[in-house]
Amino acid sequence: MNDEFTGPAIEWARLWPLFAVFGTALVGVAVEAFAPRSARCLIQSSVAGVGLAVALVGTVLVALELPERAGGAARGDVTAGGAVVVDGPTVFLWGLLVVVTVGGLLLFAERRVDAGLPVFAGQASLPPGSTAGPGGPGEPSYEDWEHTEVYPLLVFALGGMMLFCASGDLLTMFVALEILSLPLYLLCGLARRRRLLSQEAAMKYFLLGAFSSGFFVYGMALVYGYAGTLNLAGVAVAVRAGGGQEVLLLVGAAMVMVALLFKVGAVPFHSWTPDVYQGAPTAVTAYMAAATKIAAFGAILRFLYVGLGDARWDWAPLLWVVAILTMLGGVVLAVGQTEIKRLLAYSSIAHTGFLLTGVLGLQASGDLAEGQISSLQAVLFYLATYGVATVGIFAVTTLVRDPGGEAGSVARWTGLGRTSPLVAGAFAVFLLSLAGIPLTAGFVGKWSVFASAAGAGAWPVVAVAITSSIIAVYFYVRHIVTMFFADPPEDAPVVVVPSPLTSVTIAVALIVTVALGVVPGPLLDLAGHAGQFVR
Amino acid sequence: MIAFWVLAPVMVIAALGILFVRKAVHAALLLAVVMISLAMLYAALEAPFLFAVQIIVYTGAIMMLFLFVLMLVGVDASDSVVETIRGQRVLAVMVGGIFAVLLGVIVGQAGIGTAVGLGAANEGGNIEGLAEVLFSQYVLAFEATAALLITAALGAMVLAHRERLVPRETQADRAAARVRAYGEHGDHLGPLAAPGVYARHNAVDTPALLPDGSPAEQSVPTVISNRGTGRPSPSYRDVDRVVGQLQSRRDDQDPATDTVVEGSGSAARGEDA
Amino acid sequence: MELYTPVLALLALAAGFAIFSVAVSTLTGPKRYNRARLDSYECGIEPTPQPFGGGRIPVKYYTVAMTFIIFDVEIMFLVPWAVYFDQLSWFGLIAVVLFLFNITLAYAYEWRRGGLDWD
Repeated sequence: MNDEFTGPAIEWARLWPLFAVFGTALVGVAVEAFAPRSARCLIQSSVAGVGLAVALVGTVLVALELPERAGGAARGDVTAGGAVVVDGPTVFLWGLLVVVTVGGLLLFAERRVDAGLPVFAGQASLPPGSTAGPGGPGEPSYEDWEHTEVYPLLVFALGGMMLFCASGDLLTMFVALEILSLPLYLLCGLARRRRLLSQEAAMKYFLLGAFSSGFFVYGMALVYGYAGTLNLAGVAVAVRAGGGQEVLLLVGAAMVMVALLFKVGAVPFHSWTPDVYQGAPTAVTAYMAAATKIAAFGAILRFLYVGLGDARWDWAPLLWVVAILTMLGGVVLAVGQTEIKRLLAYSSIAHTGFLLTGVLGLQASGDLAEGQISSLQAVLFYLATYGVATVGIFAVTTLVRDPGGEAGSVARWTGLGRTSPLVAGAFAVFLLSLAGIPLTAGFVGKWSVFASAAGAGAWPVVAVAITSSIIAVYFYVRHIVTMFFADPPEDAPVVVVPSPLTSVTIAVALIVTVALGVVPGPLLDLAGHAGQFVR
Repeated sequence: MIAFWVLAPVMVIAALGILFVRKAVHAALLLAVVMISLAMLYAALEAPFLFAVQIIVYTGAIMMLFLFVLMLVGVDASDSVVETIRGQRVLAVMVGGIFAVLLGVIVGQAGIGTAVGLGAANEGGNIEGLAEVLFSQYVLAFEATAALLITAALGAMVLAHRERLVPRETQADRAAARVRAYGEHGDHLGPLAAPGVYARHNAVDTPALLPDGSPAEQSVPTVISNRGTGRPSPSYRDVDRVVGQLQSRRDDQDPATDTVVEGSGSAARGEDA
Repeated sequence: MELYTPVLALLALAAGFAIFSVAVSTLTGPKRYNRARLDSYECGIEPTPQPFGGGRIPVKYYTVAMTFIIFDVEIMFLVPWAVYFDQLSWFGLIAVVLFLFNITLAYAYEWRRGGLDWD
């Protein structure tokens, strides 16, 4: 190492939204340290709000300035010594993630749905079910306390996700995976109601997540053993050159994929999903279900398309099997569910399967017919429709409440359409979108991923996808029918009127879901405009 | 190579021990054995940095955390081995077996090639080479690790720390309360008398003697007197015995006095209890 | 490996000495026990926290353990920087200072919120 060391070129002009997000989280930690408790909630939510706004504006600005590459087929830059790739898909996913996080932030700050109390536990270290505080009534208690740490944690998770889908090498990807996971593990355990369930969810998510991270590291090491580099572009070069110990590559890539598929909840790595979605505070579930999937699919796409694009006949058959299992597993298990959040969890597993179907639509750009949707475009669009509808639908589930918390049981929702048609109507629209009924965003999303997969010749997978969509329609519509065409029970749950925070989230999600169903063109074009990955 | 053949059996035996010992603490200690042996292997493989990491982070910090968690749940706690899911054990063994076969096949296929690249990586020093990549292509990942550590700190605080509902009582508060108690009820204001120290037995369990020769019961720590292990002022008896001896020498007469003194001693003991 | 021979020798010497001392004292030392002697502290101070239910300690100590690990990981990152410091120049310095500052923020949070209070 006789040559002089030079630091890597870090292009601030491309990376500053990412730094803004991490900076916001750090400011949040400083606020936690130095602000008095009474002021903390307001300061924290404002800091996070401002940070997210800056990040959103920054993402748009960065997107506008991306240089074209490869004759316009791609745009973007590789920066920070190859660790981060800011290209079209990256900024699209960044924008999507920030938007979803804004929704999450609004739900986090909601106080009116639970009689003025925050949605998070007053003091998470208290044993579940213990009385708050040492004194009796009138004495100081933890009842109206709140863990304002959730705001910096949310922003940290966002930062990790943004880095995750932009990472150009496996090491950065791994660090990003941990940065996005750790805050989520924590947030899952902070529900105010049903503490034990919440802690169980956090525990399961943490243990299984840590296990899957282990797979990632091991796989990463094996891929290094094959390619001699962790850089995805470098791996691609090694794969194209061929030779070497192929087994190392296959096993390593499979192990990395295990971790990534775990994050998106694909069968057979899905078992955490229902428990975690059910136990976590619903605001966290809404955020996590949407954002984790967006970020992790970004990483899956980059890993498979950039790193292993030339080995696609090695991974595609395996992914066929996983996609088929995931779709069928998701919908079949969803049919028997009696809890709303578990139902939605299984439905999200099925959606993972549909997204994987889209991932399978990879074709060389030369093979793409004129005007045909590329698989990347299809998956990006699907992620947008799924993310928005998911945040919306979980936001609606916070509104229907029993005395002890949310009315989780499907049976409790019977006849809701008669008593509060607005809430039930919004819920129904989101369900229809998740089911993929025409004139909702979900339909266009499904159509585009199916078309792209069919274009790449993955006909069997598409056939299974259509079958499982039909099964899914059955249980979504069954739920809508019981909401609108049955009498409400005697002790029907209360539908609370939320503060504008939740209302705005639901309304915007609703508008976007319908708008994307009616005029999908602009967003679809935007996803297409993002172009290919830069390597 | 010698290092490997010495350490490998130790590691394998210790690793098997982790699986089969009954107490969690023993398993943790065996894990430490595995980790230290691994560190020595790293040293033998010319990876001094990894050696240091293995010792400092794994054997030091991670092991400590393991033991800590064991102490949180109780050192004597042992696992319940009742299956909650029927057939789980059989399934686990089956899946594990399949996985082992799979790994065996893979390793068999891959063969063991000669390791290359070590020389290039260690050229100019192992740690220097590491610094070069850490501060060039992975500098962003390095900075991002800080976010990870901060999250860990936040998590530990959120999940394990209970904040105070009422402000902490400071020394000034306690002093004021004491003076108030003195003013209102005439409670003793100063510090308590120190225990009598006679350098016999357990010194602090012996009450001090007040100027008039009576024991100061409050001078013995309440912990000891509550536990019942305090000594009922033997010194008191000793003083009497010395007086008795002096008297006996003068009067040339003995055991009767001693009996009387013994009686007064047990009276003092009764008062103590 | 040559480099570590003195270290290993010292290690063996230290281990041998420790084992020898313990063994000899158990063999030759007087064995008179009473209750006070078997306490953790002979002066009668109670060990805090008092072991209950098989020597369990309160979960609040976990924060301390976590802080320890965080600083442990931190120093491991400082080692390559310190070794290669002259080459890394300003870029390395800024990178490390930024890293340390961020971690100090977490530490400040723990300190301000009473995570390090001993009561």
